[in-house]
Amino acid sequence: MATTADNFVPAPAAQTGGPVDDHHDHKPSFFARWFMSTNHKDIGSLYLMFAIVAGIIGGAMSGVMRMELMEPGIQYLWWFAGSSPEDISAAGHMWNVFITGHGLIMVFFMVMPAMIGGFGNWFVPLMIGAPDMAFPRMNNISFWLTVVGFLSLLFSLFVPGNSIGNGAGVGWTVYAPLSTTGAPGPAVDFAIFSLHLAGAGSILGATNFITTIFNMRAPGMTLHKMPLFVWSVLVTAFLLLLALPVLAAAITMLLTDRNFGTTFFDPAGGGDPVLYQHLFWFFGHPEVYIMILPGFGMISQIIATFSRKPVFGYLGMAYAMVAIGVVGFIVWAHHMYTVGLDVNTKMYFTAATMVIAVPTGVKIFSWIATMWGGSMELKSPMVWALGFIFLFTVGGVTGVVLANGGIDDNLHDTYYVVAHFHYVLSMGAVFSLFAGFYYWFPKMSGKMHSELLSHLHFWVFFIGVNVIFFPQHFLGMNGMPRRYPDYPEAFAFWNYISSIGYMIMAASMLIFFVNIAYAFLAGKKAANNPWGEGATTLEWTLTSPPPFHQFETLPVIEDHHDYHDHRPATA
Amino acid sequence: MAGNVNHDYHILEPDIWPLVGSFSALTFTSGMVLSFYPEQFGAASNIVIWAGLAGLIATFFFWFRNVTMEAQAGDHTPVVQLHMRYGMILFIASEVMFFVGWFWSFFDFALFPDPLAYDAAAGTTTALNTLVGGTEMPKGEFIPQGMEVLDPFSLPLLNTLILLCSGTTVTWAHHSLIHGDREGLKQGLWATIALGALFSGVQAYEYGVAPFGFGGNTYSSAFYMATGFHGFHVLIGTIFLAVCLYRAYIGHFTSRQHFGFEAAAWYWHFVDVVWLFLFIAVYVWGGWGAQYH
Amino acid sequence: MRLAIDRFHLGFLALVAVLFTLALPQVVAAQELSRDEVLTEAAQEIEALTPGTPAEGANAAAGATEATGGYVPMAPTPGKGMPTSYEDDALASMTFQDQYSQDGLYALWMHDYILLPVITAISLFVLGLLFYVIFKFNRRSNPNPSRTTHNTMIEVVWTVVPVIILVIIAVPSITLLARQYEEPPEDAITVKAVGYQWYWGYEYPDHDVEIISNMLTKEQAIASGEGDQYQMAVDNRMVVPAGVPIRLQTTAADVIHAFAIPSLWFKQDAVPGRLNERMLVIDEPGVYYGQCSELCGALHGFMPITVEALPMEEFEAWVVEQGGTIPGAEVAADTEAEATEEAAAA
Ligand code: HEA
Ligand code: HEA
Ligand code: CUA
Ligand SMILES: [Cu+2]
Repeated sequence: MATTADNFVPAPAAQTGGPVDDHHDHKPSFFARWFMSTNHKDIGSLYLMFAIVAGIIGGAMSGVMRMELMEPGIQYLWWFAGSSPEDISAAGHMWNVFITGHGLIMVFFMVMPAMIGGFGNWFVPLMIGAPDMAFPRMNNISFWLTVVGFLSLLFSLFVPGNSIGNGAGVGWTVYAPLSTTGAPGPAVDFAIFSLHLAGAGSILGATNFITTIFNMRAPGMTLHKMPLFVWSVLVTAFLLLLALPVLAAAITMLLTDRNFGTTFFDPAGGGDPVLYQHLFWFFGHPEVYIMILPGFGMISQIIATFSRKPVFGYLGMAYAMVAIGVVGFIVWAHHMYTVGLDVNTKMYFTAATMVIAVPTGVKIFSWIATMWGGSMELKSPMVWALGFIFLFTVGGVTGVVLANGGIDDNLHDTYYVVAHFHYVLSMGAVFSLFAGFYYWFPKMSGKMHSELLSHLHFWVFFIGVNVIFFPQHFLGMNGMPRRYPDYPEAFAFWNYISSIGYMIMAASMLIFFVNIAYAFLAGKKAANNPWGEGATTLEWTLTSPPPFHQFETLPVIEDHHDYHDHRPATA
Repeated sequence: MAGNVNHDYHILEPDIWPLVGSFSALTFTSGMVLSFYPEQFGAASNIVIWAGLAGLIATFFFWFRNVTMEAQAGDHTPVVQLHMRYGMILFIASEVMFFVGWFWSFFDFALFPDPLAYDAAAGTTTALNTLVGGTEMPKGEFIPQGMEVLDPFSLPLLNTLILLCSGTTVTWAHHSLIHGDREGLKQGLWATIALGALFSGVQAYEYGVAPFGFGGNTYSSAFYMATGFHGFHVLIGTIFLAVCLYRAYIGHFTSRQHFGFEAAAWYWHFVDVVWLFLFIAVYVWGGWGAQYH
Repeated sequence: MRLAIDRFHLGFLALVAVLFTLALPQVVAAQELSRDEVLTEAAQEIEALTPGTPAEGANAAAGATEATGGYVPMAPTPGKGMPTSYEDDALASMTFQDQYSQDGLYALWMHDYILLPVITAISLFVLGLLFYVIFKFNRRSNPNPSRTTHNTMIEVVWTVVPVIILVIIAVPSITLLARQYEEPPEDAITVKAVGYQWYWGYEYPDHDVEIISNMLTKEQAIASGEGDQYQMAVDNRMVVPAGVPIRLQTTAADVIHAFAIPSLWFKQDAVPGRLNERMLVIDEPGVYYGQCSELCGALHGFMPITVEALPMEEFEAWVVEQGGTIPGAEVAADTEAEATEEAAAA
């Protein structure tokens, strides 16, 4: 039972799959390996690299946004629009293009690919003791569809969006009729197709994950023995599978309204712009949980590992995620409190939305209970996980404020909402990404990163993002609307502080990249299990990096009468 | 994949088609965008669209060819077949949600209609909704006055019967296959494909003679897009069945292993069920009380 | 282990030091910058308070009203109906604007006395627990981890207590919603705000008045004494009576806009093809600023809303000045107008 992963001796047949490139662990040639991959670890790496590139682009866009908002007046936008400082239309449109690009990139091309495509691909098969994903070839098209989706979004930046300028300036929500009659150029079509392509990739990915998790668990690993990260990906995959097709239908309606004369959202033909919002948020709200659930999963693994203690309330943790997923489908109209819903509808959505705080609370408290009585070691993944718990709570509780339909009347479409969702995304989701990254980087690369730099990265980032986003609560309550390139003098101070925060945050990203470079160039070799006996999941029984094909003999999970230790019984 | 593989999973060799397929999809969608702006892009868009489409068709062709070759090579162990079952069921589940989107808009329009005037001669619709001038939210009827809809108990009913019939013929084919009756399999498939094609033909004819054009108002938008996407799925299903028929002729399928056929059959049943909902909701209930053509 | 904890603290301290050195000059600069601005603002304010100046400026902006005299756009009261800058009042710049409607007061009460304390307490509670476990259950203090993974009692507690908290929140929340959705009385004054790309139109169907409201340029805003409110000030305000129910309707002509006044706790989307309606009662006369709150294209940030609430008589005087009619007062004219309106509608 209390064995460390290091002294797990794999069955003889599997031993050959070592770090040394022996005859049957052959890796394909460069092109075949990276462009034609059918290997879940390589595809996972591709996703991670893609997500980092997208994160840099999306982060840079938010940098331009924060610089523009640093002081009142239009500073830089006109330049991006290739116009003159007096032309506020061009600047205003440019702003909208920036926020649209930023939102879409961060959501669809940074967080989702990193969490599900990247970490999901890498570690779901490893954690369940499977040699690969169920559909390795489909796995690859999921990735490339994400890439071409991103390209389509990039195309949209360089073609006209409307009579004012290039790019789609419709917000990541692409509300009609701004996105139909209000944006007659091809940019919005490219943006819509971008979502079609990336969405198709995600749907295929979701089928792949569900099938893998249901069918490829190692002998003895029942659903209730699966690591929580696998549970989180399973729930996420169901959300993707059921939510994305509705988005696909909605944006197809946008396309036909734009180009073929249908009137789904056009009142001139009896259509209803609010219908679009229903369809969008029926997808959009599950989408926000899609972006956080895998993070929950990673945090669970990390907290247990570094507390050297099995996760507290395993079943409650797993079913809390299921509950969040299910309830997540029936709360969507809390994004639409001001569209003119009737009072009963608003009361229902207020109540339903608040319900989600309960399973989420179960998760927060179970993490703390996991650490309680533990023997915590504050290694890099753990500090990010601790940061996650606090910041996600802050973001979550402001969500509960917004959930009150009557209160949201004032806060809707203000910076309070922006603050809320950056706390759960740019801190919640991103902190979990960095936590997962530092947790698994040694496993994936075989190299150790610098703990010092990782801690430094953490603190600078932590301070930076809080300085960016905490003041945005003040701005929102004081009345600053979102999606504004400029603002009245009264909002100057807190905007200035927020932009200062961006610079701090940007410095931390430099530390991050230095850390990666350091690890690859000078990092110590990573042991099979660098984290010690708290790390009980199967990936730590393999070499770092794992062999090209792992588990050629499947590990057998003995019945320990304890679903927290996922390792095979020692030989 | 030589070596000491001691499991039944299917570890694949690298394959180019995912990459080709993705970029073909991008080419296709980009070509579509260009085609929306003929003034700017002219005929160039057609070339792009067709290039993309060609790539997509090639991808589908070679991809499924690879899959069938792998199946013939014995790579599809029972557990791999189980994967495919799950995969297909989940894919169909996502398709169901796609149609939920179209039904959602249909019911929204049907239950909360805006007032519209329809000019039958010109085929144009005007909103009677003068909100910018008035202060009352007027009520309307889903089918604008003067607009005729298709009589559900005419060709649509026939089509319902055709599809129901095809559901039984595909089951006939399946049973024959299970019982090793290859001729029955072929006949059942031929019949199913013929019925599918007949359905599509009737549907195309119906579109041709429909008393209302594409778009312009909510009824015709919801009608054409929902039935159109269904029709598209019928087409895909028919091709899928045709591929199965071809494979039956070259002797693929055994009575114990024939998932390709089963997937096609499931898909066909799914398409069938969607039609029943369309028939009941859109044709019968949606057009209730309106003037039939 | 020990080392990790030391680094953890070291890293933190080093960072705070670095950050302070980095950030301080910037913040000081910001302070200075805004102090300059405050000075110019003060100068403007003094200018604005000089007798004659505001009327002059406002009339120049309002244009046509000058001819008929009478209505003079009200000078805004600092801090009322507008956001507060940090320099004017740091605390007020960090929270909601003062409320001038009963629903607003109730909502503000609910936020300040229920929601904010609850969420602060929850966040601090979680933070406290984190600190506690970090210091109590680290490798040094507690080398041998327990293996506890269940405790039914505590699990029930942390499920039930949040439920209770949420119920406590839900009661005033539902009350607030019910209040916000009270039907306006029959005789409420109807005002219809129509969103256009990118300005607002206000229609007073009971009074036969229609006005178009555009944002003032910076120069115009300074001229009208609303320099501080640049980007919120408009040429023609939506003038309404204070203290009486208004049936506020919103719709839009092109894309979705949203009519929002933070100091009245009021936000309602203006959706093409839809007519949204909500009752609004403004407690006292004043100028209340708001901004379009739904992304509507390039100039979304530049189609503000200014509501001016006046005592009934002054409102009626304004109506007359705009060439409108007062319902009740001129019954004959009114029915005639209605008849023509109906004819037009038909
Ligand atoms: C990762 C993404 C993520 C997550 C997890 C959440 C979580 C939540 N969100 Fe958020 N949300 C977004 C992303 C996310 N949101 C985005 C992107 C938008 C804006 C979209 C746009 O318009 O562009 C948005 C907008 C948004 C709105 C609309 C605001 C508006 O536009 O007017 C609302 C309203 O109800 C809301 C509510 C909530 C709630 C109640 C939760 C809950 O799930 C939170 C639950 C968590 C906690 C409550 C904390 C932990 C719990 C405890 C410690 C237990 C005790 C707590 C209590 C008893 C309260 N969110
Ligand atoms: C995941 C989502 C996400 C993330 C991470 C961010 C990050 C940031 N956002 Fe973003 N934002 C959105 C989603 C996100 N945002 C959305 C959906 C909107 C609404 C758009 C709309 O209105 O339509 C929005 C809008 C928005 C606005 C409001 C614009 C407006 O309304 O006018 C602002 C303004 O300050 C802003 C700023 C920032 C800043 C400074 C960051 C910084 O924190 C950025 C720093 C960069 C990072 C933190 C990324 C680093 C990550 C990587 C490099 C990848 C790492 C990968 C691995 C480890 C594998 N954002
Ligand atoms: Cu009008 Cu935003
Ligand atoms: Cu939501």
